[in-house]
Amino acid sequence: MNASELQPVVQFLSSTAPFDTLPDETIVRCAKSVTVGYYSKASGFVKFDADAPKLYLVRSGAFEVRDPEGVLVDRVAEGEFFGFSTLLSGEKVVNRVAILEDSLVYHLPQALFDQLRSESRHFDKFFTRAFAKRLRHEARFKAKDLTTTSRISTLMSSSPIMIDAHASVTQAALLMRNSRVSSLLVTDNRKLVGILTDKDLRNRVLAAGLDGRIAVHQAMTTSPISISSNALIFEAMLLMSEHNIHHLPIIDEQNTEEVKAIGMVTSTDILRGQGSQPLLLIGEIERQRDLASLISVSKQIPLLLQNLISADARAEEIGRVLTSVTDALTRRLIVLNQQILGEAPMAFCWLAFGSQGRQDQAACSDQDNGLLVAEEMDDYAKGYFDALTHAVCAGLDQCGYAFCPGNIMAQNPQWRMSLKAWQQVFEKWVVTPEPKALMHASIFFDMRSVFGPQSLFDALQDKVLAQTKDNDIFLAGMTGNSLIESPPLGFFRKFVLERDGSEVKGIDLKHKGNALINDIARVYALSAGIKEVNTAKRIRALMDANILNRKDALNLADAHEFIAHMRLSNQGYQHTQGLKISNYLLPGHLSSLVRHQLRDAFKVVHDAQSGMKMKFMRSF
Amino acid sequence: MGAWLINATLKWRTLKCNHSLFKDYYQSLIPLMRLPVTQAPLMAMDLEMTGLDPLKDQILSIGLVPIVNGVIPLDGAQQKLVQIRGSVGQSATIHGILDNHLAEAVTIEEAMAWFVAQTRGHVLVAHHSPLDCRFLQQDILSIYRQAIVLPAIDTLVLEKNRLLREHSVLKEGSLRLGACRERYGLPIYGAHSALTDALACAELLLAQVAAMGGGADISVADLLS
Repeated sequence: MNASELQPVVQFLSSTAPFDTLPDETIVRCAKSVTVGYYSKASGFVKFDADAPKLYLVRSGAFEVRDPEGVLVDRVAEGEFFGFSTLLSGEKVVNRVAILEDSLVYHLPQALFDQLRSESRHFDKFFTRAFAKRLRHEARFKAKDLTTTSRISTLMSSSPIMIDAHASVTQAALLMRNSRVSSLLVTDNRKLVGILTDKDLRNRVLAAGLDGRIAVHQAMTTSPISISSNALIFEAMLLMSEHNIHHLPIIDEQNTEEVKAIGMVTSTDILRGQGSQPLLLIGEIERQRDLASLISVSKQIPLLLQNLISADARAEEIGRVLTSVTDALTRRLIVLNQQILGEAPMAFCWLAFGSQGRQDQAACSDQDNGLLVAEEMDDYAKGYFDALTHAVCAGLDQCGYAFCPGNIMAQNPQWRMSLKAWQQVFEKWVVTPEPKALMHASIFFDMRSVFGPQSLFDALQDKVLAQTKDNDIFLAGMTGNSLIESPPLGFFRKFVLERDGSEVKGIDLKHKGNALINDIARVYALSAGIKEVNTAKRIRALMDANILNRKDALNLADAHEFIAHMRLSNQGYQHTQGLKISNYLLPGHLSSLVRHQLRDAFKVVHDAQSGMKMKFMRSF
Repeated sequence: MGAWLINATLKWRTLKCNHSLFKDYYQSLIPLMRLPVTQAPLMAMDLEMTGLDPLKDQILSIGLVPIVNGVIPLDGAQQKLVQIRGSVGQSATIHGILDNHLAEAVTIEEAMAWFVAQTRGHVLVAHHSPLDCRFLQQDILSIYRQAIVLPAIDTLVLEKNRLLREHSVLKEGSLRLGACRERYGLPIYGAHSALTDALACAELLLAQVAAMGGGADISVADLLS
């Protein structure tokens, strides 16, 4: 027979995850092995044949799966499955499956299921319960990983041009001419000791009236600023613009024994290789001399976000890049206003809270900031900082960072305090935790200094962490707050399926997704006195400190990235469709694979919430 | 016709039939008549023809889809394209079958031998079965010189009876295969071939039997009447 004639079955399988990834001949083989069954609503529940477990793929209609306690496990419709947990575990079916509508179902026998799992890693991953593994696996396939494409190592020449420190300058110049480079790495005993550039030959040799016989080490720039090969291109650009240099040796960070140079990048390499929008934008911000021009530069930020989204960058990187831009704007506004107001009367730190603190800003972020000053302010200092903070906050507002509706801003005297006063405010939250007050306070625990001496900031953060660490009452209060919201169970047709079985039109990916993971990471980090505030870094640190086990930590980090990625691509979609940008996702246009992945991510969040509850709320 | 009459007729035909192939064919059906429809081996079929007249027109293809114990095992789904005498003519456009596509086709003699072998011991199911059966009977008559009557469950008749219990007048087109399937929430199939339509018909029968209450107390003979 001509197998392709089973077209309705073949077509359906080809458009259903994970079959859609199987080769055509395999799909035809599947179609031939399927049996088709009809389930009428009147018959109530699916009767399982214990001797012949199957995968049930819904062709049309709907079912509801509940565990033996009656808790809703899933509601499945066209293109979705039930029965696979039995196939995976070999244990008998314990869940009850109610027939919600008259349904047509394709049954896949166990033998075929096993065979497909062994033939296709993708198919296997899809069903195995290693949820996070699956998410990671997918992410690798789907999102172009900008961490690899935008690593500094991708711009580096494969064989660095090096010269010994004791060679002559003439030899160096010859090597540069023959290799057509404008700079050399200078080594001594294989250790990087300096770099030699065209400019050095001009300024330190020719202009100084020396000849080519002098040694390279006499003309080179010693102890050059360098960067790890793992760094992002973007970070290299920042470093170069910060120090006004054009050549950056690249160091192999794996090798800690000796400083080993493995390459060099120049500002030209970066500009050529990248177009490097974020860097250019930050460079531009740093060049502007007044508010009006800063406002006009900041108009490029939405475009930058759009480009990053369409380049399918990792959500975490997009957050980092956007936050760097905000940080640069903030710093530039402070510097410009200090040029008007004069030197500050005392040391101060500009504090960023919430998403800017966590380095995960997205579109239309509000301001959340504060000011930390070294000592109690006298009237002059009060007036000075009042003027400075009002000017900076107003500037940020005009650059697109709206005033904080909750008035958590440095221009509000309430959030402009001495180190001592800040320490007392945090102490009050920590020592006498009022659930309601804590709910509003949680963003303050994601704080980072954007401007000012690190030592001043550390003095505040170290004190706060010393108080939160192992503080059972405080941690229970924070945990209680973060459990008020829970992620949805999954999807049912065009709807989001809540854990109580209700169906809603859409999901707020921020408040029912990423914010929950931020909460979890925050509570654990505070419990362990971890200084990181970025959620991914917090999770990493918690894993390294063995506070979260490796599997849970990786699951949580993956779920965080995946949900954030969905949130951004949804915003990209909203932008291209001319819709209002929001965190609200309507599941209607999601592919079946993405629905499964989001469902898995939600499950990871829910499990992590349960784990946190067990750990911090046991005795309350 | 009552169920007993169906049975009696079938037995009488078996007795009267002199051709051993078809005597055996009838014989294989007798024990199936009393079985609940959910347990009897059934075979849904669909034919594509060059026209509607069994005397003038020819079979182009035959699709067979078995129903075993109330489910459809797709590994038993088969289709044969049939060589035709002369050109496909006008209806080629209807069925999307061109003369040269029939290169893999078998002769009508091979097709009928295959059909009899495959459907022996199965009760036929078709949507508007009299038309398909007349074509098959005509070809069997001319090849084997044996007049036979193929009993078949007609999903169109089942649907018509059900609808007439609820409405006195039926709307134009309401008994077409696609329209019937839609009433049971069965998916819409775009492509039409003998095999696809046989599958569509098999699924429709499962839905109809479920709507009758599951079929444990409905015998094959009940549905034939």
